[in-house]
Amino acid sequence: MAKKQRYQNRIELLQGTLDMLILQTLQWGAQHGYGISQSIRGRSGEVLQVETGSLYPALHRLGTQAWVSSEWKQTESNQRAKYYRLTAAGRKQLLSEQARWEQIVDAIAGIMSPVREEGQS
Amino acid sequence: MSFWNWLWQRKKREADLEEEIQDHLRMAAQERMEQGLTVEQAHASAAREFGNVTLVKETTRDMWGRVWLETLLQDLRYGLRAMLRNPGFTVVAVLTLGLGIGANTAIFSLINALMLRMLPARNPGQLVELLHRYPGEPRMNGFSWHSYEHFRDSNHVFSGLIGVMPSHFQVRGEGLEPEAVDGEYVVGDFFPVLGVKPVIGRLIGPQDDQMGAAGSHVAVVSWSYWKSRFNLDPGILGKRIIVEDVPLTVVGVTPREFFGLMTWSRPDVWLPVAMEPAIGRPSRMTSGRMGLGLIGRLKPGVSIEQARAEMSVLFQFTVEEMTKNSKDPLWRQLKIEVAPAGAGLSVLRDNFAKPLLFLMALVGLLLLVACTNIASMLLARAVARQREMALRVSLGAGRFRLVRQVLTESLLLSTTGSLLGVFLAYLGAKALLRIITSGRQIVELPARIEIDVHPDVHVLLFTAGVALLTGVLFGLAPAWSAFFSASAPSLREVGTAGETRLQRLFGKSLVVAQVALSVVLLGAAGLFVGHLWNLQHLNLGFRRDHVLLVTLDPRRSEYKGEQLSRLYQELLGRMEAIPGVRSATLSGATPISGAGASSFANVEGHPEKPEDRRYVSLNWVAPKYFQTLGTPLLAGRDFNYQDQGGPRVAIVNQAMARYYFADGNPIGKHFWLDRDWKGFGPDKTYEIVGMVGDAKYYDIGEATPRTIYFNAFQEGHAPSHFALWTSIDPENVAPEVRRAVREAAKTIQVAQVTTLADQVDASIVPERLIATLSGSFGALGSVLAAIGLYGLLAYTVARRASEIGIRMALGAQAADVRWMVMTAGLWWLAIGIGIGVSVSLAVGRILQNRIWRINSADPLTLAAVALLLAAVGLVACYIPARRATKVDPMVALRYE
Repeated sequence: MAKKQRYQNRIELLQGTLDMLILQTLQWGAQHGYGISQSIRGRSGEVLQVETGSLYPALHRLGTQAWVSSEWKQTESNQRAKYYRLTAAGRKQLLSEQARWEQIVDAIAGIMSPVREEGQS
Repeated sequence: MSFWNWLWQRKKREADLEEEIQDHLRMAAQERMEQGLTVEQAHASAAREFGNVTLVKETTRDMWGRVWLETLLQDLRYGLRAMLRNPGFTVVAVLTLGLGIGANTAIFSLINALMLRMLPARNPGQLVELLHRYPGEPRMNGFSWHSYEHFRDSNHVFSGLIGVMPSHFQVRGEGLEPEAVDGEYVVGDFFPVLGVKPVIGRLIGPQDDQMGAAGSHVAVVSWSYWKSRFNLDPGILGKRIIVEDVPLTVVGVTPREFFGLMTWSRPDVWLPVAMEPAIGRPSRMTSGRMGLGLIGRLKPGVSIEQARAEMSVLFQFTVEEMTKNSKDPLWRQLKIEVAPAGAGLSVLRDNFAKPLLFLMALVGLLLLVACTNIASMLLARAVARQREMALRVSLGAGRFRLVRQVLTESLLLSTTGSLLGVFLAYLGAKALLRIITSGRQIVELPARIEIDVHPDVHVLLFTAGVALLTGVLFGLAPAWSAFFSASAPSLREVGTAGETRLQRLFGKSLVVAQVALSVVLLGAAGLFVGHLWNLQHLNLGFRRDHVLLVTLDPRRSEYKGEQLSRLYQELLGRMEAIPGVRSATLSGATPISGAGASSFANVEGHPEKPEDRRYVSLNWVAPKYFQTLGTPLLAGRDFNYQDQGGPRVAIVNQAMARYYFADGNPIGKHFWLDRDWKGFGPDKTYEIVGMVGDAKYYDIGEATPRTIYFNAFQEGHAPSHFALWTSIDPENVAPEVRRAVREAAKTIQVAQVTTLADQVDASIVPERLIATLSGSFGALGSVLAAIGLYGLLAYTVARRASEIGIRMALGAQAADVRWMVMTAGLWWLAIGIGIGVSVSLAVGRILQNRIWRINSADPLTLAAVALLLAAVGLVACYIPARRATKVDPMVALRYE
């Protein structure tokens, strides 16, 4: 029962936001696929759970756009894993996505709480 | 990046992805173990969280790009595997398709060569030809020089009007063996108007074609002539060749792809038409018998209708010219036509378009039957493959992926089939062409017709289109089935309940369609086989068997006139002495050779209004002609040798007698023929001394013409067509006949030996071809339909095995079971035949009398076809029905 509850609390990711989240996550350093999904889940307080069926296509998509690069490295537990790293182009892309995201948030906020807007002006 | 390099990278990436996913699973499991789960629990949980590995891989791969090629390769691999798994089915399907597509391609390549391929000229769509039509005869493109000049100088619709006249030339020259080559006389504007540029040198131009100024002594040769005789030596320019004893200078070579305007010939030499009076022997220009083929190039913006309107006005000139020279009232009804000539002149099209288009429709039908047949086989197989499909779905394959997979398999089948088809078509088109051109010579066409039927881009595109269409057509049913089987709830349920009512109905309607299509196909075939049978058993008025025809050529001998007559009389005696020969005779024309003579008769006491006058056919025959040909002498007497020097006598046929004489008795009546080039006239009156039965003259399909026979020996010019009535196989006396001729006169050559039966057959080559082809197509179609019916029932029996088992366990008799299975099949058979018959009747009514003179909605033929198909269908139903009774109840029950 508890598990079901957890699923209901989860929020569907907005179209196009996954790429941004991945790029954001990689800002703090190279990471492998499992690490990225764990990181997103942790930072969102268990609310955002990235499906593997979306994560890996997204990673490979970012790879073909050359926004991330990948290499095989040893993990902390001394095992091989594929690490993704942000490229210069990826950093630029992240900035522009961040700007877009803020625009969206503002716009949506404006729609969702119009009264306050009126009060301010 | 090369393909192999790409493929290698691809493999590496694939391995990378696999490892990446395994790492993910391992790390997830590890973390869970650290949280205190057991190894099994941790792995299970990690896998659960990860989800469908195959699906993740597939969607990830989609991000790599060029995936369609990847999946296509995979689909092809699966498809090939599926084909090899069922070699029997694959062979049958590929053969069926190969035959179907091959037949379509073969017919199409003929249609392409004759009707579609554009002439190698600039802007061929603007070219039109002028044709005149004499009532009741095929249209012809042949005009006098005066008409040409008149049209050329007075019209406002053509930017150029050109004339061409095919001919044969004896050509020799320095380093050239004397040989006969095909060539053409052309007017000066010919090449400029067509927009043909020379490969080297220059082509004939207006300056070469000054009528009356004897023309310039120049010739242009074809590229192939240049290659084969001069080895592409540029030194050919300025070379002197001698054409029929007239020396000419070669001034240029036409481009390789240029062959003139007639798709059926490959001329090697072109001469200015102004040279004709010097070269032609006898000159057709000076004797006024020149038939110039006229081709115009429409001015931009001028429609063919406008050209038609103006030409009908200008054509009055030709009509006046014709009527001045002939008393034939029908010349007044002569009409001019203007037809598109972008694909070459129309003579060949007019002769073969109808049979070819009809055959095209037939092979199209055949291919449709083949498609439905393969579709129903694939459908039955698709049901059997539902387990496989369900397995794939549960392994993560999407619905559309399955549909694509099934369609790829169908296309693989149709592509393999079409490869076989192209190969068969290549052989078939050549064979077809040989058969088509094996008939007797067509007026206006040379005896030897050369048509290039090699598969060009159009043909290959056509075949590719057909392959694609058929692949999709017969692939739709199984693809549809795959689409729905993908929604099968679970693997376990698939085997038993997998097929929906709708799917079953679809499978059955495919079989119904096959039966219906076969009825239409067989119905059409039946009509033509019947038509041919009628032609072959028609009472021609003469015997076709046991008659040998021998044509002699006395032109290079010293025998002339009276001398030749005497020689031929002696020869007839020698021929009759040959064992096995019953009688021998000779005549000016032999029946159904396609040649003959005609004139207007003036019968004493029976004046005719000018507009009622019709040509009567004429023939000059020796005594015993009627006896040899088996035409009955109804009244009076036969010719004899004593007629020579006596009063002029003639024999008429019954059609002539009935028309002119109320009592039908012509004996003792007199007539004379119009004065014309044969030297007849009112001063030559003939007495009718005999009447013979009606016999066909030009064509076996025609109404018997009124015919007058003259005594060949009385007229003093003995024709060279001998006919021998034999008691043994006529071919067997041919060597003796040749020897008799050699012994009688060494200088006389035997030009041709054939049998009357062969000559008659040669006149109905298209009819025979269509009957044979449509018959075999129809047979093939009904065999396919029978296979389809059999397959459906056999499959039904297999599917209902347990039900049948239960019925038998409950006491049903073998006969009951048999009846149950058979009625199911017979219903579909009956519906199919019903639909087929009604479609045939409807189509037949539309086509009534449009295709030849055949009753195209003959209920008797259709009834026979329906019966035949019912019988075949009955057998196809009976075999599975009998097998149903062999179902062992215990085995069937245990099965579930």
